[in-house]
Amino acid sequence: MLKCTINGKEVEVKEGTTIIEAYKEMQEDIAHYCWHPGLSIAGVCRLCVVEIEGNPRLQIACNTEVRDGMVISNVSDKVEEAVRWGLDFHLINHPLDCPICDQAGECGLQEQYMKYGQYDSSMAENKVKKRKVVDLGPKIVLDAERCILCSRCVRFTEEISKTNELGIFNRGDHSMIGTVKDKPLDNDYSVNTVDICPVGALTSKDFRFQQRVWYLENTATTCPGCSTGCSVSVYHNKEGAYRVKPREDKENNGYWMCDEGRNVYKFVNKEARLLSAKTLNSGKLSSVRLAQALEDFTSFNREGKKVGVLLTGQNTTEEYKAILEMFAGADFFHWKNNEEKFNDFDGLLKRGDKNPNTNGLIETISNLKDAKSFNASNYDLTVAVMPENFLVYEDYNEKLESLKASKNLLLFSAAKLPKMELKTENTWVFPLKTFVEKEGSYLNHAKTERRIQKATSIVTEAVALNEFAAAVSRGLKININHHESRKQNEFTNIPGQY
Amino acid sequence: MSELIKADDVEFIKKEMVRYEDKYSAIIPSLYKIQARHGWVSEDSVEELSKVMEIPSADILEVRNFYTMFNQKPVGKLHIQVCTNVSCAMNGGRELTDHICKKYNVKKGEVSSDGTVTVNQVECLGSCDTAPMMQINDKYWENLTNESAVEIIEKLRS
Ligand code: SF4
Ligand code: SF4
Ligand code: FES
Repeated sequence: MLKCTINGKEVEVKEGTTIIEAYKEMQEDIAHYCWHPGLSIAGVCRLCVVEIEGNPRLQIACNTEVRDGMVISNVSDKVEEAVRWGLDFHLINHPLDCPICDQAGECGLQEQYMKYGQYDSSMAENKVKKRKVVDLGPKIVLDAERCILCSRCVRFTEEISKTNELGIFNRGDHSMIGTVKDKPLDNDYSVNTVDICPVGALTSKDFRFQQRVWYLENTATTCPGCSTGCSVSVYHNKEGAYRVKPREDKENNGYWMCDEGRNVYKFVNKEARLLSAKTLNSGKLSSVRLAQALEDFTSFNREGKKVGVLLTGQNTTEEYKAILEMFAGADFFHWKNNEEKFNDFDGLLKRGDKNPNTNGLIETISNLKDAKSFNASNYDLTVAVMPENFLVYEDYNEKLESLKASKNLLLFSAAKLPKMELKTENTWVFPLKTFVEKEGSYLNHAKTERRIQKATSIVTEAVALNEFAAAVSRGLKININHHESRKQNEFTNIPGQY
Repeated sequence: MSELIKADDVEFIKKEMVRYEDKYSAIIPSLYKIQARHGWVSEDSVEELSKVMEIPSADILEVRNFYTMFNQKPVGKLHIQVCTNVSCAMNGGRELTDHICKKYNVKKGEVSSDGTVTVNQVECLGSCDTAPMMQINDKYWENLTNESAVEIIEKLRS
């Protein structure tokens, strides 16, 4: 261990720690654009300068290792002066179009500008015009004038996605980010470049102009997109969720997530959802209050009835446990989408099993049968839990169709359902909560537990399976855990985001 | 193997690649080779070079675009670069550029209609003591006047 003093405080760090890492460890403020813990060191932005006692010149914190006894400061007048000039340099050709920039509110440059900016350009020359609103790829837009050439995005495509699309072309103030022959930047991880771009040069087509970031809260949770279960933050407000970003998790996903996982918020919002419970009334499904449907189902005598339960790997372990208990003695069927691809892995994060909790299901319910052999007409009561991310289930409609053969049907679905002609004796349909509306855990591919957390409540009448089971066993006293208070969002200082 | 990089150029490139500690060091000599063959380095050539060297094309394009000595567009048989940095400018370098352009009816940076001449105005070529001067392809021509410059070009054009 090495002893050093940072901004007047004594700390101990491991051998080999860089100064910027020491600052981060002790959560001391330090400006930086080009340094990112998941990438190599570039040392190009010069914003992280620090003063080291006994050293006449300022040093960059990202590329200087701590030595024993070092006395380091980034709050001295000398450092402040240097950062101010460094910032001025970055702003020579920057358009400062924050009011129309999607990064505003979570922009490193804007933050520094508010602190040190001079507000009027001190250059007599005109700003160099560069390309704006460049269609960089199917998911990304580039504004080359806003780019501060930190090279994070270039290093990402070199070192992480290993696709090498990006480069910094030309020289001096003509330098510009781009691709060879303007080929689209299109790889399975491309949107990470948007996250790590410290300014608004790279923005996500999906999120652009949808929301100002300061109107969104974020909740730490797990991506349900596949069996990796990346740690992510879901950004949401009262209307629903708007984007998903990766959250630092060194053991599981590092600092990254795949582009496909960015879409997992799309099936949670109202437009896609089943909004109310339904029961069968003279051959037609009609909406009823949740309490009414619960009462209706509870009054159905399940004694001695043969029950078949259809499940996917898309619910939480807690839900499986509750269902297992509630329907003890039933036949449980595992509905798998693309089983032959379950063990696929792209070498970085993405896995072929597009269910977050296949392992949780298998571990909780021991004698699962394959849903291929499921026949609804064999049972007095069919319980079917439709997958929330139905987009990855090719046979979704087919399965739904097959449920019509049920004698009695208890159906859970997060997604809006198509019109169904039913000849069942009884049908109860309950809107299901999605991963942003409940708490629980998944068991990922490596059988490590991944927690999900409630972010918001989107469909007020929706239940989780365990809530449903509890309500039925308690005799209807429904106690659905909704989101109560809004906390103030902290825009840029989110731990684990760089 | 390919249209743009001939077999003996490939051989040259392969040799260069092992000559240095790092094969990236061979990018510049390879680009020179391609330019010697075609007069310029197209993005297609960059992509082919990327295959030969097994280096991402973005990395090679970064080098091509960084250095002005690599032509990013086709040039005429005579690539005339007239210096207009301080000494040359004071001695009529800019006027000389305009004179040559007018004479061959060509805009700066473009190729004359008969394909023989491209004129560029460039920064210091390090020959200040003999201002004004121009470089035609690889050769320096110094202490020029409008007349002597045209005479030289005429000679080389035929
Ligand atoms: S586009 Fe963004 S990440 Fe890429 S170099 Fe520019 S500022 Fe950095
Ligand atoms: S790799 Fe899987 S868990 Fe991670 S972001 Fe992609 S879909 Fe989500
Ligand atoms: S963060 Fe250190 S130079 Fe950019």
